[in-house]
Amino acid sequence: MTTTDIAPDSVAVDGQQKHTFIERLVTSTSSLSIGKSWINTGLFYLISSSLLGFFLDIVRFDTDRYLIFSNVDTFFQFWSLNRTALVLLALIPIIIGLAMCVVPLQIGANSIIFPRAAAFGFWLWFLGAGITVFGFLADGGFGAPDSGSQQEAVALTLVGLLLVITGICMSVICLLTTIISGRCMGMSLRRIPLFSWTMIVSGTLWILTLPVLAANAVLTYVDLRGRSAIYFGSEDLIWEQISWVFTHPQIYVFVLPLIGIAYDIVPVATKIRQRNHDLVLILSGLFGVIGFGAYAQPFFDTPGTPVREEALYVVTAVLAVPFSLLLLAGVLETLRMGARNLTRHPPAPLVLSLLSLLLLVSGTIVGALRAIEPFELIDTTATTAQMKLTIGAGIVAAVAAMLWWGERIIGKKSKQGFGLIAGALIATGALLSGLTETINGFLGLDDFTKVNFLEKVSSESTAKVFIFFSFIGSFLFFVGSAIFLIVEFLRVRNGSESEVNPWGGHTLEWTEEVVTVSSERPLLDIEEKVGVDDV
Amino acid sequence: MLTTGFKLWFGLCVLMVVAAVFAGYTTGGTETGPISLGWKGGVGNHVVYTLLMLGAASMAVMGIVSQAFRDSEPEAAIELLGVDEVPEAQSTIGNSWWPVFAALGLSIVAVGLVVHAAVFVVGIIIVVAIGFEWTMTNWSEKASSDPELNSELRERLMRPIEIPLIGALGIGVIVLAVSRILLSSSALGAVWVATVVGVIIFGTAFYISKRPSISRGLIQSILFVGIAGILIAGVISAVIGERDFHHKGPHHDEKSHMDEKE
Repeated sequence: MTTTDIAPDSVAVDGQQKHTFIERLVTSTSSLSIGKSWINTGLFYLISSSLLGFFLDIVRFDTDRYLIFSNVDTFFQFWSLNRTALVLLALIPIIIGLAMCVVPLQIGANSIIFPRAAAFGFWLWFLGAGITVFGFLADGGFGAPDSGSQQEAVALTLVGLLLVITGICMSVICLLTTIISGRCMGMSLRRIPLFSWTMIVSGTLWILTLPVLAANAVLTYVDLRGRSAIYFGSEDLIWEQISWVFTHPQIYVFVLPLIGIAYDIVPVATKIRQRNHDLVLILSGLFGVIGFGAYAQPFFDTPGTPVREEALYVVTAVLAVPFSLLLLAGVLETLRMGARNLTRHPPAPLVLSLLSLLLLVSGTIVGALRAIEPFELIDTTATTAQMKLTIGAGIVAAVAAMLWWGERIIGKKSKQGFGLIAGALIATGALLSGLTETINGFLGLDDFTKVNFLEKVSSESTAKVFIFFSFIGSFLFFVGSAIFLIVEFLRVRNGSESEVNPWGGHTLEWTEEVVTVSSERPLLDIEEKVGVDDV
Repeated sequence: MLTTGFKLWFGLCVLMVVAAVFAGYTTGGTETGPISLGWKGGVGNHVVYTLLMLGAASMAVMGIVSQAFRDSEPEAAIELLGVDEVPEAQSTIGNSWWPVFAALGLSIVAVGLVVHAAVFVVGIIIVVAIGFEWTMTNWSEKASSDPELNSELRERLMRPIEIPLIGALGIGVIVLAVSRILLSSSALGAVWVATVVGVIIFGTAFYISKRPSISRGLIQSILFVGIAGILIAGVISAVIGERDFHHKGPHHDEKSHMDEKE
């Protein structure tokens, strides 16, 4: 809306001016270029955080050795950095990057709307991520600060987090605006591809919930830096304030686009039209709604009524299981009907998208068990298990999406077999870690919320056996991520040129023609040329 | 005809009114209070109700303005621009430095909040300057339907401001950096530094003047390396601090007089 819709042409200088590689990288406002920047940086943080997770599990297994962590406080800092990086610096950026590249193509827009704001969002996130990590490395992070210099480092981490959130929200606003107002003629919200649909649902929920996380950070910052007149008592309990982002129900909101990825891949791979499309729209929307988690903050519990024992919290945790099962069933039904169209070697993205849905189902089951009070799993390693399974599902789906749409985005073929191995390793690692951490939860092993955590681990011999398997899982997760990075690097460097539509896709992102939006009712021209049904 | 803008703003207005009424009833409002703007009973939580109702009123005003000025109405655009058909809805935008510089400015503001007030102020100045530049770029792109004319218009308007300001800023920073280098060196070292830097600058200028066909990229690289070297050396020198000086100021004289009296 507004004058953007009717503005005269801007200066189209992309092809007219010669830029160096660095200039193009830094100044580009093309959605493809910005999307690739998101994906590449997200992959870097994925490798780093999965390596860190591996080191953390070594320490958990062998508590006598702290490796790079000098003491238990430092261990906690890196433990919280690992979670923050996996979600805010790896998973969300990779998904945003994919959406930046794919969504405008899927809905027939020739670019992202507000491209400069989208570039601004990326750079804000990029610099904020750097400041956040620097804050952690400078002895800051989310622990209780002691000295003055440590307070400064914690404050630096918090302002970095604020920039990260602002960057993500800015980019998501651009994406949502594109989907809502940049669609081509005839493409109602009911008809948009499911990846774009799940981006609307998850993007809306990110915008609704991430500012709450920002408010948590501001509250703590005020406590750290404010005068004594303003004191909320949150500076010593920073992690307790922000930990709601990494557990049920909020964690589901971050991986919601995996449903769209699976539902876009499976029907095309099996050459079958997706049945009950409207039902999938509703189910994925509802799954997003139950994932709204800004209310579930134990820090703000009223005495006597902890939020994690309230009906809403428990019911949403339990409801997530049938919803995820129904979504999986929808994909399996399509697969069953189109099984005859598959060869002996089904496409890697198809296999990986199924694995990601299975991981999601496992995550929701662990989440439901964790929320049921008699099991007493709330503060145990079941929390870690749910996070690992759910985030693992998101990462595997991202690998599937890169193998699927990568040929369209990058224009080069990748080694699908190696991509499949990478995704399968990540899935196996997440599953192994998730299951063993769940068992440890039942054994009563605390999630890292107490200072004597490591001592407790060393005294629990049974738990230690399962920690070993969790450590193996973290190793597989890291190896899978590293292999995937190599696969993508080799694709960019040595990959042969790909076809326009290698999978025989039927949605707009696979069309060769550039869709030009030339009126308030876009795609009139395309409609006249090829007929709206063909589009 | 109702414009797209009007529909959006009106929809938001309705949404906010509904939210306000809902908030009113769920926070202790009476039966008729929330739906009568508090005329017949209480509205519940006053702050939330008032904020949402004010928001709704703002949306309504935006909707009326949008309708009154026929915003985003194709026929109005055709009339205004004097063209036969509406231009592209999504125009292509070229590369831009403003997003990265704006992000850098905001990051400096954030770091300045923690580290030092001076850094914070520098960040604010950068954000304001980039905000102004970005606004002018956006304005110029919509000034007419001719992209080249728009680009020229921006150049004519902004270059007389940009070049002297950036030049003065650049000179100031380089002078500051060089002064830090000289002040941190010994007395003899400072003479050597000044001599060597002078010879390098003179030699480079001589080399460039003798090669008129030298590429623009090479000159840019030489300048970049030179300026970056001076800035890095300046920052390192500032961290090291100034050398010890034998002051001959009033304090020294006073002390001498006192010695004499004793």
